[in-house]
Amino acid sequence: MPSPIAFNPSSPSRSMFRKKKSINAMSTAASYLSAVSEADARARIQNGSPTSTPALSLSSSITASSEDTILDESEDNEDGLTYPSVPPTSEQVFTTVHTEFGHCGNEAFRFTSGHPLGEPVKVIHEQDPPYYILLTTYISYILVIVLGHIRDFFGKRLKPNAYKHLMFQDGYAALNSDFDSFYTRRLKLRIDDCFSHPVTGVPGRTIVLLDRASPDYNVTMIPTGTKTRALNISSYNYLGFAQGKGACSDAVEESVNRYGVASCGVRLEAGTLDLHVQAEALVARFLGVEDSLISSMGFATNSTIIPALVNKGCLVISDEFNHASIRFGVRLSGASVRMFKHNNMKSLENLLREVISQGQPKTHRPWKKILVIVEGLYSMEGTFVNLPKVLELKKKYKFYLWVDEAHSIGAIGPHGRGVCDYFGIDPHSVDILMGTFTKSFGAAGGYICGRKDIIDRLRISAHTGSYAESMAPPVLTQVIASMASIMGVTIIQDKPASSSLSLLRSSDASDLTITEPPSTTYPGNAPSTALPSWISLPPTLVDGSEGQMRLRRLAFNARYLNRALRKLGFIIYGHEDSPVIPLLLFHPGKMAVFSRMMRTRAIPIVVVVVAYPATPLVTSRVRFCLSASHTKEDVDTLLRACDEIGDLLDLKQGQGERWPLKDIIDRAVELVNMKEMP
Amino acid sequence: MNDSTSTLEPLFTALSYSFTTLERNFYKIPGSAVVARYVKSSHQNDPGRTLLEVILIIFAIRTLLQSRTRADNSGKHFIQFDEKEIDDLVEEWTPEPMVAPLSPKEQADLASVPVIVGPTGPKPKLSNGKTVINLASYNFTGLAGNEVIKERCIDSLRKYGLGSCGPPGFYGTQDVHIQLEHDIADFLGTEAAILYSQAFSTVSSVIPAFCKRGDIIVADRGVNFAIQKGLQISRCTVRWYDHNDLKSLEYVLESVEKERRKKRGPLTRRFIVTEGIFDLDGAMSDLPKLVELKFKYKYRLILDESVSFGSVGRTGRGLTELYNVPASQIDMLVGSIANGLTSCGGFCAGSNIVVNHQRINGTSFVFSAAMPPMLSVAASEGINILRNTPSILTTLQENIRAVRAILEKVDCINIPSHSVSAIIHLQVRLPSPTHLTPQMASVTPTSPKPSSPLLATPREVVQFDHELEEKILQDIVEEALAQNVMVTRAKRLRGQELQEIRPSIRLALTAALTKKDCEKAANVLKAAFVKVVGRRR
Repeated sequence: MPSPIAFNPSSPSRSMFRKKKSINAMSTAASYLSAVSEADARARIQNGSPTSTPALSLSSSITASSEDTILDESEDNEDGLTYPSVPPTSEQVFTTVHTEFGHCGNEAFRFTSGHPLGEPVKVIHEQDPPYYILLTTYISYILVIVLGHIRDFFGKRLKPNAYKHLMFQDGYAALNSDFDSFYTRRLKLRIDDCFSHPVTGVPGRTIVLLDRASPDYNVTMIPTGTKTRALNISSYNYLGFAQGKGACSDAVEESVNRYGVASCGVRLEAGTLDLHVQAEALVARFLGVEDSLISSMGFATNSTIIPALVNKGCLVISDEFNHASIRFGVRLSGASVRMFKHNNMKSLENLLREVISQGQPKTHRPWKKILVIVEGLYSMEGTFVNLPKVLELKKKYKFYLWVDEAHSIGAIGPHGRGVCDYFGIDPHSVDILMGTFTKSFGAAGGYICGRKDIIDRLRISAHTGSYAESMAPPVLTQVIASMASIMGVTIIQDKPASSSLSLLRSSDASDLTITEPPSTTYPGNAPSTALPSWISLPPTLVDGSEGQMRLRRLAFNARYLNRALRKLGFIIYGHEDSPVIPLLLFHPGKMAVFSRMMRTRAIPIVVVVVAYPATPLVTSRVRFCLSASHTKEDVDTLLRACDEIGDLLDLKQGQGERWPLKDIIDRAVELVNMKEMP
Repeated sequence: MNDSTSTLEPLFTALSYSFTTLERNFYKIPGSAVVARYVKSSHQNDPGRTLLEVILIIFAIRTLLQSRTRADNSGKHFIQFDEKEIDDLVEEWTPEPMVAPLSPKEQADLASVPVIVGPTGPKPKLSNGKTVINLASYNFTGLAGNEVIKERCIDSLRKYGLGSCGPPGFYGTQDVHIQLEHDIADFLGTEAAILYSQAFSTVSSVIPAFCKRGDIIVADRGVNFAIQKGLQISRCTVRWYDHNDLKSLEYVLESVEKERRKKRGPLTRRFIVTEGIFDLDGAMSDLPKLVELKFKYKYRLILDESVSFGSVGRTGRGLTELYNVPASQIDMLVGSIANGLTSCGGFCAGSNIVVNHQRINGTSFVFSAAMPPMLSVAASEGINILRNTPSILTTLQENIRAVRAILEKVDCINIPSHSVSAIIHLQVRLPSPTHLTPQMASVTPTSPKPSSPLLATPREVVQFDHELEEKILQDIVEEALAQNVMVTRAKRLRGQELQEIRPSIRLALTAALTKKDCEKAANVLKAAFVKVVGRRR
């Protein structure tokens, strides 16, 4: 490994954050010092003697933290979120802002996500609730629906003005009839305060809510002007790259200065920048495949590229819980669709046997192609696709496979390469790997990866290339910087042939990938020549240690929360290593109560509650999205909240052995490292 | 006999015992008495009645269990195979390759795409080292690379980070998004606006949010690809009128009304879908007339201003400003932030009801992450600049006039675009009689009979040699590039578009270039046209 100094000569040992505005920082340094000493005192009371001395210097996390506090007024740490409760010791140096990316120095709170090689994939059975829960859930839906109809009946007669837009008026049919909008008006409106909450600031470990109040039962929401900082268990920020400070943001700033904010066009017309070419090469290398294509919106990656692969006479076999964007794309394509039961390989195989033997409906002609579309990690279920089994079926039934890794890329696998990495599968065995940059990389947009001939075809034939605006340069930079920091960078002496000179990496310009000397082993490092020359990364990003830390912290958090909630007795769906954790609530009313109770705790927590139509009618749930930026303490905070609220709302309906909360928190490391959960 | 009775004795006792326990337990269940009473009264010593009830119950259970999307395997087309036969069929089946390999022409197309090194703008540097005059990028108002916007963006980067990390419904709505929605609504003069994170996915999501199966859409035959996809996904009844021909529109509206009266169907939602300035050819809609028709026939208007927003009107508000039509009269005004404000994303402006409806029903709004906060700050700042500097649009119009003044005079160039449109399509006009005759025929309306509203293709189809024209235009593009002027052919997905579109070179003018540069570029283009077409002669 060459010295990082060669790569970043300007600042050989710069920390991840530039220490700017140190004069400003002084003004709040005093407040931080007092917080540190208070925390120290608390720690002494609790533990008797602290294991190491707290750092009472400005050198560690202080500058960063205090800089952040200038932005908002919550300097007093009243909510317990702004500063760590246990102050950093003298030897620990944290370079992140605690509110964006929590400080966690304990190396025990790390785990590597991965499926044990050679072992069969366990089928996880979803626990059913007791019958009385199901019954009361149905009853509560019926109740709300009946009440809604009664209110509509009287409302239409007593307050016709309020219903005007739902009725025929002066020759126009209603834009949205009273029947169509019933669910929205009479069910969703009751709990609208749990949705679309406006926020401000970085959606990192914490998020700042713009408080709002409703004088008329959620019909209008009026901002109160106050703000609340809350622990953020809702954003898709798996690796914690949602940061306003840090090397990635520095790179983005540099790119805004160099490139501006827009690429002003469509990829095939005049919207291709050198950054696009570089980012695509890097993404392909990250995933260990030949080529990739970037699209400026995650939803559009599915909805506009699927139609380029399949058309009439083709069949798409889709998991029943596939994302709306996939359904949108399939509908546009004109191909026939069949669905199989969620992640049920038996159901998939039966369906395959049926459709191949029957051929197209009526004509019985054989299908032109069969494309199976699955997701790596299902965002509402927390389940991983049973990829080894799917590939086994693929060999036998010769279908093409599209894996949507919107949530799994970056979030799982020992190297963060998604579901293939998790199961230890060669990425070449999947035809199309699709994913997004929104979730793990703190950017936006999506990619498609696969063989070069496929990707080249998609560049020409997919809607994105000819009609959709290309990705903006700052977003590309965030993708490049965050991805490179997960991969680690191998420094190569600059060559005259810059990668930006190759045209779209099309047929005649394939030398780009070949001339790069470092081994193309997967999962390998990124060569420094693959990055724009102006990006300067600090050593922790260059050697990949920070990326590893993020991956391992996320894996720990995910497994810890997953197992802890099960041990508390909740019904949890999905895989144990999934950073998306759905906790089943069942009753629609409990969604609102759960969300409100979480938000109004002493340490406010924001969570996402979802119900029909995003889930089946009875299985309303709350969904936790963990991040590498959360510390173990944050997960403990969440567990305490869940424990209390769970008791109040009668949510602990799961089977299996239970542990008391204190045991769980104390034995967290043991719980995570257990091979099988008892 | 006795023997068998004695051997069966324990069995009988066990049976009777279990029966009594069952009965006892049954009566323990709350409400069981009611069930028992019901069974007794319905039985009435008539086994036939009980049988009937049982059949009814079985039928009800069967209906409930049957999935709604039933497989074909019970249909008459289903063929029964045994496992062995299925295995053989599976073995036999060979799918087509995943994708067709690129043809040499497509490969050349891909290779000819210019790559800009460094920032894009009026004079970007290309990967071949040349600095070119850019008449290809959508940078109408010249906001790309604006220093004020950059500064605001960096501030917001430090405050918000880059990504929004969530859909708008789940803590992805930042205050800057609300601000931009407010800014757009205020700029246009509508009640509200909603942001989408990609311009192309905006209108194809807006249309199906409102138009469902059974609703009627009357659409222009020349609408852009995004609208076509929106119409396709909405599954409603589509009627077509001739491209930018409001007489034809009126005829179609009339015929739809007649049809409805004849059928006496219920009143459904009805929409007119068209564009402000067409992406297809740069033609412009006559908005006042369109609004008049919409009110007359009681239709709602979905107007896609992806090209016109930020390029026409005194301050770039689009067609509504140009024609002085209140934007509130347009029910759904769709625009592109990417084109108009050189950021990213799209918007739909309209009344509160229209906008709030999309917050729940706009597929690509609900299921997609919100746009990066930085980019919405850039757009807000862009609006601010447009409001305060009307000279930008004046410069843009001057540049358009300068370029057109040169190109309009060239024999071999046909410009279908409207004179104020910032995108100018240049079609090649070939002098040879074989190409000329069919064109001339289409220009003069020979048959007064209008095209059928049911078909997307008009009665009179303009004849042209697609391959040849495309080849000529590509040669012109390359010739211009050699002279340091970057232009591009309008790229279309041939075969996926509704109709065959005549190839063209699409210029996108910008206020960032001086009039002199524009004239220089136009002269280069003119020379390229003359040279390449002349070579064909």
